[in-house]
Amino acid sequence: MNQKEIKELIRFLKEEGITEFELERGDVKIHVKWGGDSAAPPTHETRYYAVHGAPPVAPELGAVPVVPPPAPAPPAPPKEEPPEDLHIVRSPIVGTFYESPSPGSPPFVKVGDMIAAGQVLCIVEAMKLMNEIEADVAGELVKSLVTNGQPIEYGQELFAIRVRK
Amino acid sequence: MPIIKLAKPTRLRPLPAAAVPVQKTDVRLGQIIRVLTDHAMVAVSGTKIGDEIGTSRSEVWRLIQQLRTLGVAIDGHPATGYQLRTVPDLLLADVLAPAVKGTLFQQIQHYYKIGSTNIAAMEAAAGGAPQGSVFVAEEQTAGRGRGANRWHSARSAGIYCSVVLRPNLPPSDALILSLAAGLAVQAAVRAIDSRVHPDLKWPNDVLLDDKKFCGILTEMNAEATRVRHVVVGIGINVNQQKFPEDLREVATSLRIESGKEWSRVELLGALLKSLDREYRDLLEKPNARESILRRFAEHSSYARGKNVHVEENGGFEGVTEGLDARGFLRVRTAHGLRTVLSGTVRAK
Repeated sequence: MNQKEIKELIRFLKEEGITEFELERGDVKIHVKWGGDSAAPPTHETRYYAVHGAPPVAPELGAVPVVPPPAPAPPAPPKEEPPEDLHIVRSPIVGTFYESPSPGSPPFVKVGDMIAAGQVLCIVEAMKLMNEIEADVAGELVKSLVTNGQPIEYGQELFAIRVRK
Repeated sequence: MPIIKLAKPTRLRPLPAAAVPVQKTDVRLGQIIRVLTDHAMVAVSGTKIGDEIGTSRSEVWRLIQQLRTLGVAIDGHPATGYQLRTVPDLLLADVLAPAVKGTLFQQIQHYYKIGSTNIAAMEAAAGGAPQGSVFVAEEQTAGRGRGANRWHSARSAGIYCSVVLRPNLPPSDALILSLAAGLAVQAAVRAIDSRVHPDLKWPNDVLLDDKKFCGILTEMNAEATRVRHVVVGIGINVNQQKFPEDLREVATSLRIESGKEWSRVELLGALLKSLDREYRDLLEKPNARESILRRFAEHSSYARGKNVHVEENGGFEGVTEGLDARGFLRVRTAHGLRTVLSGTVRAK
């Protein structure tokens, strides 16, 4: 199943107003659930839930974000509506998350730090391409949502920043 | 990845450390070489050189002395005029200019010595350096690799070069530049000597005899939907004749593998040309991504059917099974198909 087919599938689900859907084919398993209690599907984004108690192998990453077979999935990180002033920094690429410029060196940032807009928060690496992720707002770093060395999906939430007023 | 320590330079005389400027190379050094190359058959007077590059005769003499301490063979003295004995294999902008004509790479900044060309290029790019800026050094004192790895880069034995690109692409579409850069190095080596057949190890190490002679580190600065700049850093072991014992199993140079000395000027010229071609194709041709994936699969023994160990998520082993549409390596393991995002891959 390629990315195009999956996109078509998701479009179909949206049009039909289906709020949750699961499909298993070969070694690809897709679980789509529209966020929130609202019946209206979001316009753009699909949530992918990681699974607690997954086997110690890395989740396989296919042509689109795919997660290991979701057990009755408690979403992780627990879904919490951020207060209005929390700004979420997401990853623009798939890759591996690094909190510091090199192994053993101190992290770029830690919870509680005051962050300037444009400050480097972390690196996401894919194919020996190091992508510096910068803060697009100034404020206090209140939450770090991923751990060092973790595989990251496109659009995954990395940090929460309380925007400076 | 091991720390690569490179052997002493072979082509140029070793210098006293004090003779190596740590800052940018005086562009007039390259200009003098260009004037002398343009009049290769005759001795050129200091006055004429001074007129051409806009400086005094005594300053020309001082610069000629500086070139000599850098290992450039120049005959003559102020009374007779000056003549190049051989065109030096220094990666100066004026020496490279004919080879990179028509490419993006028209702004070449040369350093005799620098910490890291990637750091210089990233800083310059953040400060607005235009696309196509090239930072090249005869020697790096803090050459970088992946993570904490270092690429120690001995004087004038290799090519240590970083280029600034500003692709109008979303970040996730720019990742494939990483594969394209390895293909460009492979093509450049074959363009210079078609008897040499480098292999590619995913994503972009370039190998001969299963040993690495080229490493590539790409750094990107991007907004959520738009790349601001990408720096592709390329280190090539060219004329090293030997490596320390602990590295002989993993590192090699073009000279060791081919048995002859290579012109770094010629090779870097070919590399910038092939990099220019890959990059333009990626931006302009609709099927460029497929072409990169297909050529990687054709030119890499690691793409398919290779027993590998992957250092990612605690390490795993398997057999390679091609690249996915994004360029990530697929590995068939005992627990199923896995996709390598960033880990180091080694033959087993």
